[in-house]
Amino acid sequence: MAFCKNPSFLCAFASLREISVFLMSRLFSFALVFLSVHLALADEQGTVTVQHPWMRAVPDVMDSTAVYMVLVNTGSDPAELVGGSTTIADSVAPMITTKEGEGLKQVVGMQSVDSLKIPAHGTLVLEPNGNHLMVMGLKEHPKEGTQIDFTIKLEPGDHEIHLQIPVSKRPVK
Amino acid sequence: MNVVSSKTASAPSTSPKRPFFDWRVWTVASVLLVAVGLSVLLGVKQKAQQGFFGMRMFPLKTAYDFKLNGSNGTEVRLDQLQGKVVLFLFGFTHCANICPTSLTNLAEVYQALTPEERKQVQIVFISVDPNRDTPQTLEQYVTSFDPAFLGLTGPKSSIDQTVLAYGASYEMVAGSSNQPNDYSVNHSAYTYLVNPSGKFELLYGNEKLIDVQQMVTDIRAVLREPRS
Repeated sequence: MAFCKNPSFLCAFASLREISVFLMSRLFSFALVFLSVHLALADEQGTVTVQHPWMRAVPDVMDSTAVYMVLVNTGSDPAELVGGSTTIADSVAPMITTKEGEGLKQVVGMQSVDSLKIPAHGTLVLEPNGNHLMVMGLKEHPKEGTQIDFTIKLEPGDHEIHLQIPVSKRPVK
Repeated sequence: MNVVSSKTASAPSTSPKRPFFDWRVWTVASVLLVAVGLSVLLGVKQKAQQGFFGMRMFPLKTAYDFKLNGSNGTEVRLDQLQGKVVLFLFGFTHCANICPTSLTNLAEVYQALTPEERKQVQIVFISVDPNRDTPQTLEQYVTSFDPAFLGLTGPKSSIDQTVLAYGASYEMVAGSSNQPNDYSVNHSAYTYLVNPSGKFELLYGNEKLIDVQQMVTDIRAVLREPRS
């Protein structure tokens, strides 16, 4: 609109287009906000939201599984993911993937950590082959296609976010 | 510089006045020679890789004929699978992140092949944790990813020989509790491709397995290769 100094047919057209682009972007932001609110029902005062959470469907013989998600921190203070809980397992622990050695000799492993950092205005990605929440001592087997009640714990503030997490073999987008 | 050699004189059709040691000609010739040499060298390297997605072994060597146990403790040797493309990887069933990710990806690769191609491909998961992974546990574990997958393990000595032969590695890491069965295993997360002639041909890092199309292209190329 700023470039349209003369009122003309072309200018009107350009304005309409800009208005629609503006409205679409607003609509998109509202949709994002709605989605985040929906996913983080209990996260009323927190600045961390959860996107695309999923629990890996694993063979019946396994007594552990992993949970993946993206944690988005919209606040100006860093936060930390310190753990979680679920009724279907004994414990949940944040884990990192470790790589030692070079070339063919390289070994990959995982290591329990006290917390995983979510930087201010940043994200923490939990994904296959990378950082994850390990769910240990499965009491009930997570079936593909079902939803699991899952709580994640954040610091500071001993903050909890309650989630309903889909069980899937593949990443849920 | 102005010496006219007998050779140039014998070819008067070109340029009779050009001196034999014309530095411009020699410069151009050397540059051309270096360029040809470089392209031949790069070509050889390219030929070795042959556009494969996996890292190609060069020269190809006969894959170590491992002897391990399948379900019900039956002995399975790599040589028994000759004629097939064998993709195998090391792991353990208590692995919650890397192993299920790799096996899920390999199951997708396997299912992306035609039924005819699948008959010529065998995917094998080798447990380096025979203490916790019995042949029965292992079979239930691998077949839940795909019924055609094969789970193998065996005495520690057989596993160690296999791991050593492929330049792989693993180590047990104690868990936080003092329970004897509370441990994790750090292990090589590569997938090794053995061609139908029994040669170890391609190597994949675990992150590569997610690219189903590229994996399928590699397997098809290996299946088409003439048997040596």
